[in-house]
Amino acid sequence: MNLYWEAVGFGVIAAASIGLGAMGFTLQFGLTNVLNIGYGAIMSLGGIVAYVSHSAGISIWFGLLLGGLSASAVTLIVAKTILAVYARRGAALFEMAMITFGVALIVEYAIAAITRNNTYPLTIAIEHAMSLGPLRFTKVQLILVIVAFGVFVLLDLFLHLTRLGVALRATAVDPDLARASGIATNQIVTAAWLLSGFLCGLAGGVFMVNILTISAFTGDSLLSLVIVAALMGTAGSVRGAALAALAIGIATQVVSVAGASSYDTAVAYGFLALVLLARPRTLQGGLVTDRVQITV
Amino acid sequence: MQDFVSISLVYLGIYALSTLSLNLQYGYAGIINFGWIAFQAVGAYIAAVTSLGPASPSGFQHYILGARLAFPLPLVLGTLAGAALALVLGGLILTRRIRRDFQAIIMLIVAIIAAQVVIATVGLFNGANGLSGVPKPFNGVFHLSYHGYQWFYVGWMAVLCIVVYAGQEWLCRTSWGRALRAMREDDVLAGYAGINIQALRVVVFVLGGAIAGFSGALLVEFLGTWSPDAWSFVETFVVFVAVYVGGRGNNFGAIIGAFLVPVVIGTMPSFLPQFGYPGLTANLEWIVIALAWLIIFYLRPVGILPERRHIATRSRVSARVNATTT
Repeated sequence: MNLYWEAVGFGVIAAASIGLGAMGFTLQFGLTNVLNIGYGAIMSLGGIVAYVSHSAGISIWFGLLLGGLSASAVTLIVAKTILAVYARRGAALFEMAMITFGVALIVEYAIAAITRNNTYPLTIAIEHAMSLGPLRFTKVQLILVIVAFGVFVLLDLFLHLTRLGVALRATAVDPDLARASGIATNQIVTAAWLLSGFLCGLAGGVFMVNILTISAFTGDSLLSLVIVAALMGTAGSVRGAALAALAIGIATQVVSVAGASSYDTAVAYGFLALVLLARPRTLQGGLVTDRVQITV
Repeated sequence: MQDFVSISLVYLGIYALSTLSLNLQYGYAGIINFGWIAFQAVGAYIAAVTSLGPASPSGFQHYILGARLAFPLPLVLGTLAGAALALVLGGLILTRRIRRDFQAIIMLIVAIIAAQVVIATVGLFNGANGLSGVPKPFNGVFHLSYHGYQWFYVGWMAVLCIVVYAGQEWLCRTSWGRALRAMREDDVLAGYAGINIQALRVVVFVLGGAIAGFSGALLVEFLGTWSPDAWSFVETFVVFVAVYVGGRGNNFGAIIGAFLVPVVIGTMPSFLPQFGYPGLTANLEWIVIALAWLIIFYLRPVGILPERRHIATRSRVSARVNATTT
């Protein structure tokens, strides 16, 4: 039984990185309707920057922040230059996804070329695990969970209580109406790109601290879980994404303790099937959807 | 050099079948199969295990369904495996009212996780090491030299590509092909016109899956090996780019795309003089393909050979109208 409680603890830690990524993904996707596959590369970038700054003697926490900020900057630059050009030319939804895929390949393989395809081990001081009820965490892990939960609370408060947050949600629902009501939707979209890039970069860093290795392709292994969490929690819903991430994180770790250690990621399959069968409403929107408006 | 040309030509054949398969699903029917590579992979695995012979517990590789079947059977079974996977996934995903881009991302996740499952389950298809030593068909029959066999395979691929191309081109010109295009443009209207959208979508998905499985089976019989490295999900991106560059909705364009993107652009960096550390050119290859995609899609979004406009000629329409009125 203890083993299972431990697995729940690991699950909560895994959920920290999945949740950060899923919140960023869902925020951007719900607002712009661009299915951004490029976040895999962005998460790798956030992790790499955090790793490099940690190796340069900067504290890992500050490194995570730097990783998030640089990921945020790259995301915004890509969106406002490359993605905006194709959106203006009337690229369809899927074509935009293909373009983010192309950008992701360039970023990812550029990182791979610079890092010579290496996988770097992260060395941070690991303290003894402390007990928290039936759960056990190291200090670092506990901080990661608190950071992720704090980000979730702040983001939720921001979206529901501040003027900018309300404007962001309004733009997500109906960009034309929001613009007509005097919301500067352009700036709102910019804010969403920055925020989502930051969250995904942070997610990559947190993932690295959790698994203690980083390479150019680390973000890809996180991406499928992030997308499943974002879809499960309804595109655009930060609360849904956080909750789904928690469920996926715990389920994957419990499965791996139950004896199927290498199948933990395959559990995402099950979740995907669950979404399809039990909550198809989250994925609905008419069969022809190329009419959904893209706002970059 | 002779080797390089013959191997490139075989790859051209494989990619031509790949783009034809994806062109049928995406170019004609508008189904975004972002997990396309999984269908090629299952075809290759099934063809491999049904020609390798029974797996021995003490052998160096472990797999299911081991059998040593005569020549066309592994190819047929690989094709059927692609079709069966398409039937299951298509039935589960395409018959539901799910946004098209969500369908695409679900296919992508299926492909990513399929690779993880194959790597994790060593008993299935020998895990990350993959299968090797797959026998080459006809090799024992004709007693060809190494080069002779390479060129023989080029001819064999050419015949198969022409057959699949001709069959697909014919299908796309029939009323069935017209129904596909109608469904792609507006599935609601196509439904009003009496087309069973759900069924048509699954059928075309299964056909495309079968061609994908077929291409995988042919590839593994040529290479002799197949492992998760060979079918990472980014390969699907290459095939999509090839379809876009050639011209979606145009079967000949798809073959041109197969020639230009994976064969010409994809192998270009290997012509550069050796520089940097080993593995650098492979990284550059991906960057070049991605850049080429962004540039070509910007310059010519419809592709090199855009879809022909299918307009019924006036005489044929009026003839039919007259036939029905009189």
